[in-house]
Amino acid sequence: MLIIECPYCGLRDQSEFSNGGEAHVKRPDGSSEISDREWSEYVFIRSNTKGIFYERWVHSHGCRKWFNCVRDTSTDEILKTYKIYDTRPKLKDFKNLVDTPSGEPELGSGNFTVKK
Amino acid sequence: MKELKTNSSPFVNFNQKISFLFDGKKIFGFKGDTIASALLRNNINLVGRSFKYHRPRGIYTCGIEEPNALVQIISEYSEPNTRATIKKIYEGMEVESQNRWPSLDNDIGSINSLFSPLFSAGFYYKTFMGPHKSFWKRIYEPIIRRAAGLGKPPKEFRALSSHLHHNVDIVIVGAGLNGLLAAKSLINNNHDILLLDFDNHLGGIINNSAKISSIDNQSPQEWVKSTVEAIEKSKNIKILKNTLVTTYNYINHLIAVEDKHVGSRPSENKVNNILHKIRTDHVILCNGHIERFLSFQNNDLPGIMLASSFEKYICRYGTLPSKEPVIFSNNSNSNSLIYSIINQGYKPKAYIDSRSGENIEPELFDLIRKHDIPLYTNSQIKGVSGGKRIEKILIEDSTGGLSEIHSDFLCVSGGINPDVHLFTQSKGLLDWDEKDLTYKPSKPFQPTITLGSASGQFNLEKVSDEINEKLKIFKNKVLDTKIVLNTKESYQIEKLWEISPHKSSIWSKSFIDLQNDVTTKDIRQAISEGFDRIEHLKRYTTNSMGTDQGKISSINALGIVSDLLDKKVNEVGTTIYRPPYAPLSFAAIAGRNSYEFYDPERKSPIHQWHKDNGAIFEDVGQWKRPWYFPLNSSESMHDAVQRESKNVREFAGVIDGSTLGKIEIKGKDALSFMNLIYTNSFSKMKPGSARYALMLGEDGMVKDDGIISKISEEHFIATTTTGGAATVLGCMEEYAQTEWPNLNVYMNSITEQFATFNISGPKTREIMNKVFPEIDFSNDAFPFMTFQFHNYHGMQIRILRASFTGEMGYEIYIPSKNAAKIWGQLHSYGKDFGLIPYGTETMHLLRAEKGYILIGQDTDGSITPIDLGLNWTIGKTKQDFLGKRSLTRTDTIRTDRKQLVGIIPSNKEDQLTEGQHIILNQTIKIPIPMLGHITSSYQSPTLGHSFGLAVIKDGHSLIGKKAFASTPDQKTIPIEIVKPVFYDEENKRLVS
Amino acid sequence: MQSVKRKYSIFSMAKNAFNGHKDWPKMWRSPEPREFYDAIIIGGGGHGLGTAYYLAKEHGLKNIAVIEKGWLGGGNTGRNTTIIRSNYLWDDSAHLYEHSLKLWENLSSDLNYNVMFSQRGVMNLAHNEHDIKEIKRRISANNLNGIDSLWLSKEEIQKKVPIMNTDNLRYPVLGASYQPRGGTARHDAIAWGFAMRADEMGVDIIQNCEALQIKTKNGKIEGVETSKGFIRANKVGVVASGHSSVLAETAGIRLPLQSKPLQALVSEPIKPIIDTVVMSSAVHAYVSQSDKGELVIGAGTDSYNSFTQRGGFDIIEETIRAMVELYPVFGKMKMLRQWGGIVDICPDASPIISKSDIEGLFFNCGWGTGGFKATPGSANVFAHTIAKNEPHQINAAFSLERFVSGKLVDEHGAAAVAH
Repeated sequence: MLIIECPYCGLRDQSEFSNGGEAHVKRPDGSSEISDREWSEYVFIRSNTKGIFYERWVHSHGCRKWFNCVRDTSTDEILKTYKIYDTRPKLKDFKNLVDTPSGEPELGSGNFTVKK
Repeated sequence: MKELKTNSSPFVNFNQKISFLFDGKKIFGFKGDTIASALLRNNINLVGRSFKYHRPRGIYTCGIEEPNALVQIISEYSEPNTRATIKKIYEGMEVESQNRWPSLDNDIGSINSLFSPLFSAGFYYKTFMGPHKSFWKRIYEPIIRRAAGLGKPPKEFRALSSHLHHNVDIVIVGAGLNGLLAAKSLINNNHDILLLDFDNHLGGIINNSAKISSIDNQSPQEWVKSTVEAIEKSKNIKILKNTLVTTYNYINHLIAVEDKHVGSRPSENKVNNILHKIRTDHVILCNGHIERFLSFQNNDLPGIMLASSFEKYICRYGTLPSKEPVIFSNNSNSNSLIYSIINQGYKPKAYIDSRSGENIEPELFDLIRKHDIPLYTNSQIKGVSGGKRIEKILIEDSTGGLSEIHSDFLCVSGGINPDVHLFTQSKGLLDWDEKDLTYKPSKPFQPTITLGSASGQFNLEKVSDEINEKLKIFKNKVLDTKIVLNTKESYQIEKLWEISPHKSSIWSKSFIDLQNDVTTKDIRQAISEGFDRIEHLKRYTTNSMGTDQGKISSINALGIVSDLLDKKVNEVGTTIYRPPYAPLSFAAIAGRNSYEFYDPERKSPIHQWHKDNGAIFEDVGQWKRPWYFPLNSSESMHDAVQRESKNVREFAGVIDGSTLGKIEIKGKDALSFMNLIYTNSFSKMKPGSARYALMLGEDGMVKDDGIISKISEEHFIATTTTGGAATVLGCMEEYAQTEWPNLNVYMNSITEQFATFNISGPKTREIMNKVFPEIDFSNDAFPFMTFQFHNYHGMQIRILRASFTGEMGYEIYIPSKNAAKIWGQLHSYGKDFGLIPYGTETMHLLRAEKGYILIGQDTDGSITPIDLGLNWTIGKTKQDFLGKRSLTRTDTIRTDRKQLVGIIPSNKEDQLTEGQHIILNQTIKIPIPMLGHITSSYQSPTLGHSFGLAVIKDGHSLIGKKAFASTPDQKTIPIEIVKPVFYDEENKRLVS
Repeated sequence: MQSVKRKYSIFSMAKNAFNGHKDWPKMWRSPEPREFYDAIIIGGGGHGLGTAYYLAKEHGLKNIAVIEKGWLGGGNTGRNTTIIRSNYLWDDSAHLYEHSLKLWENLSSDLNYNVMFSQRGVMNLAHNEHDIKEIKRRISANNLNGIDSLWLSKEEIQKKVPIMNTDNLRYPVLGASYQPRGGTARHDAIAWGFAMRADEMGVDIIQNCEALQIKTKNGKIEGVETSKGFIRANKVGVVASGHSSVLAETAGIRLPLQSKPLQALVSEPIKPIIDTVVMSSAVHAYVSQSDKGELVIGAGTDSYNSFTQRGGFDIIEETIRAMVELYPVFGKMKMLRQWGGIVDICPDASPIISKSDIEGLFFNCGWGTGGFKATPGSANVFAHTIAKNEPHQINAAFSLERFVSGKLVDEHGAAAVAH
């Protein structure tokens, strides 16, 4: 179970939060003309990054605020949480532990099927 | 009774004799004994039968690593697979051996041994396929499945377990020499510390062997006593005994289970165990090491035991399993066993060491010579033989010469491993140590420190140096502990994994996994078949997949494989231990969160009234809702619903709608926000009016519905379905915060704050006039789909003219605490007008007659508003709302989508059944294309026949056509497809 | 090294027993990759190995490689709770899973390798009126699709599973659907069986070979860059479950997948106590008993994306408390092992078995929590799709295109948690 720092309430147990999937996905404005494909990308497709991932959480059993989070999905380490309007941190601010698209980090992977 | 074997032990009370039953026979032991130590006192060593071959098995170890001595505790709800080596006895305990029939001594299953050459690795995969397919299901499979399992299933048991949460700075796992020293160095330090030990007597190696002579000039026992006292007195360290850390999760989250009834019968009404859930910044693992066994012919016979376990029985339990065992070792760790036996006034019958003479410690040589113990160096045990216990041991000496010793006891040591189970659970990395021939912790993934033998530091004289170095980060007190040893030893080992038998037959066996009956032959065969990855090997042979997870043997398997493949061990693979460390009780995991605390029951503020008036309840999510109100015990649900429905249509009825979700939306931009959330446009609506509205997912599918009341441009109240309340609020909050943060709007759930009563039927207005005489309920003053706030005896209530039954009706919103009063008033005034309470089933029937949909019943996440014929809910001029764009995708604009229609049976006496499908053919030839299914159907008391709603392909254009409905017994009923409204299509009654 | 034919029976067992099992041939070769293959399958789990098997057996392709990052069957094939059934709601799903179930029924003899398919039946419990309606709808659809599926009353459930507590719990058991032909199988065996027979037909199975990049040129597949070098190919099939979208990304394709942790656990082995598979999505618990006697219990997914193959302990807790509630005799049972896998979930809880915009590049993924049961069926129609460059009619509905058109196969109701 993760421990997550809500930018409003501080460090709390994961059981107080709900995950909201990828962050920084812009909803297409309803007034603009977009193709079926573009719209379907918004509705159904989210990045499924292995490594540094921008995602959203909501403090559902707390202040009920949505906020953003940078987490390494290859180790589950939470690198940063920030308010929804804060600027998105840069990818290069974080160390990428995965050298190949589906590689395993040296430490922290649960996947021992791959011998280093 | 035979005299019990005793000598001194600080942990066993020899004055308190205890009797218990083993396989129905009365056995005596002492307070403090485990089942195993008590059995050994009585010279009982045969305690079970093995999994596959039903071979006789004895007590192999003295701890949690035990692979063989698993027993059933009859007196504790028949708990199966309990380790006899850790379970303490109490008066009247009942224990049974496992996996034997009819008895442990005469087990029919042992016939399997005869066929053992067949039962090699992969046996099942390669056989049981002929002569015909049906043999598998009818003959082979039942036989295989009957042979499953070790213990018998337990008895019904309602757990009494608690969960306890801890938040600390440091957890020290294990209170042996290292754990106690580490804790001692941190006494009154700035950190909150938990010190956990599985034992009820702290001290670990100090209690378990005679290795240590003195600590800081005190006897080891005195030192433990004074150190534990000092720790207990400290402000910052809490000790939990009898507590086993089973799981080391991510973010230093530990799970530990505490046994609250060690050595006593579990109480029926007291907590039996506690599951500790611990969050900590640092973990210090001082959980020691585990000794390995060795593979040789018949190395599973009763009478064989790990060397350190034998010593533990002496030092800890004051019993000597045998007065003259033979000892076989490849390392220096077993030196202290010889010392311990001699200390008791006996001596080993022989000492066999695979190491050459020059590698053996001079002190050990001296001791062996002094006591004239037969010594075999550079020698090996080629195998042992015997029936239900070992009898003879075959030794190959340094010259290759063979000799045989008669002995009924053999102590074996194949070296020691740091207990890395928890460390690997924490995802730390291990490294193979070529000198000590074992895996040792190298890189931790989390803030984990390992100390002593848990870290692979086997030298007892160096423990304080290691602690001083590794605990510096905590600014601990520097230790200068002086440890004097009885047996000078710095750990030294020579490689030895397996000794090949002198004479091999297809029946001969050297075990590598005792519990799962895996032999070294199985390993060889698996390798030759190409299962050379260690996980493949494990899965193919089931090696180390028993309840002990191969604690004493999995490294040996790696060693054997590395030799076979001519690779280094760390190239072969590491052992991956999966949590938990030792089997963890389901009851403890469930804790108090089951039975009456499984899930909260949500109840309406007038729940008690419903109960008092005989309501039958239905679970709707967490809510308890009245389903129907039978007149008496003999009225069936069908009769009650028919009566209730008729009554509403003829007179009036009221349903408790308090479970409906209610959300209040406020803010300068509330109107724009609501226009974005719902399909409808609320812009032209007058304050004080209300509208039925739909909410879609972004995929365009109907997600929820409700009535939106507009109080002002900046203030709305939305109702939601009972099940959808939380989701709808969550969705509103998400969009308000993440997509349209520029909108000034906020929302709150008021579901619990207000009760809702929906009263409807032709007599409703008369009843309302009686209950609220000051309010004008005339059509002009209070038109359909408008609402008004009123003051009723000092409280504000809201009345909404709306109906879900098709009859004219009102919804009354009352603060919950006063709800019972108004409910009472409605009934006392309403009685004369025929008012009755009704439940959800009648509500469903009435709304279906009227063609109103029920979200989740008539919709299933694949239905758009257009499919439902609810195009009018869509604000045509709105630029955007949730899911709008999805309504014009190629699949959603198809005109032949599944659409909502009504159906009636062509023969009025036929009954339609929900869930049945609509087809075009009268006779069913499978597979048959289906148009769709009946989503709702009821017997209508008003129509006098069955009717239904259905979603069917191209439904809207099929209206007026005939089709068939399937029945549960695969017959068909002719039906007519009609408009989905069966009652008052012109809404005359609604607005009357 | 040449492939050899392996024949298994009680006679070959007996023969080998008398020479100490020393002469069994290797199950598969360990070849180095060639420069070029007609088809490369990325992912050596059951679905991938099966695809290679059917490509070779039914479509005559011989120059095939399966490349696997770790070891065969080490992903979800070796980590699931092995439940097999076909009683799905929608026609498209029902046909796909029924196709698979039919293949399961003959798989042991097809492969001459016993995958221990045990048709002990699968039960899905109803705990409220809504469950009953959904289940009855599904049974009706199943029956008209020719799938064995029947309604069990509470009394019938009690007869089949006497240890179940049907009344005295928060959400009482009101009934169940039951598919007698459903059951369980030995998960490792299907990977090994497919691998062995594919190897016999000349398929190169290359373990410890990680796919690094899918290379394309002008909208056409070129090959796969791997940890053992670049391998050219006419066709590439990605069957990498949780990692499929990560690999697709290297070819510039975004898949509608999210990878989440899914956990399972087994108890200590006990003598037979439960004779069928029981699933309950309402209380998040499903259980069967293995041939070894362990209770095999499936838990739910965590809410967040992760590739760590571990989940939260709260999920385990949730499952165990449901088990203890449903089966009071399990109170004295103990959890022996728990583990996690990575499941790739589609928005409509249905898989993708599809061509892509790139010629020669195919995907078979998105099986979520329920892919094991589909193993032979999925492999069979995927092989067809690769060989013919167009989907088999059984998998036509499971295209990538459905997310654009909106023609989803929404199995959320039927799938929820339990699969």
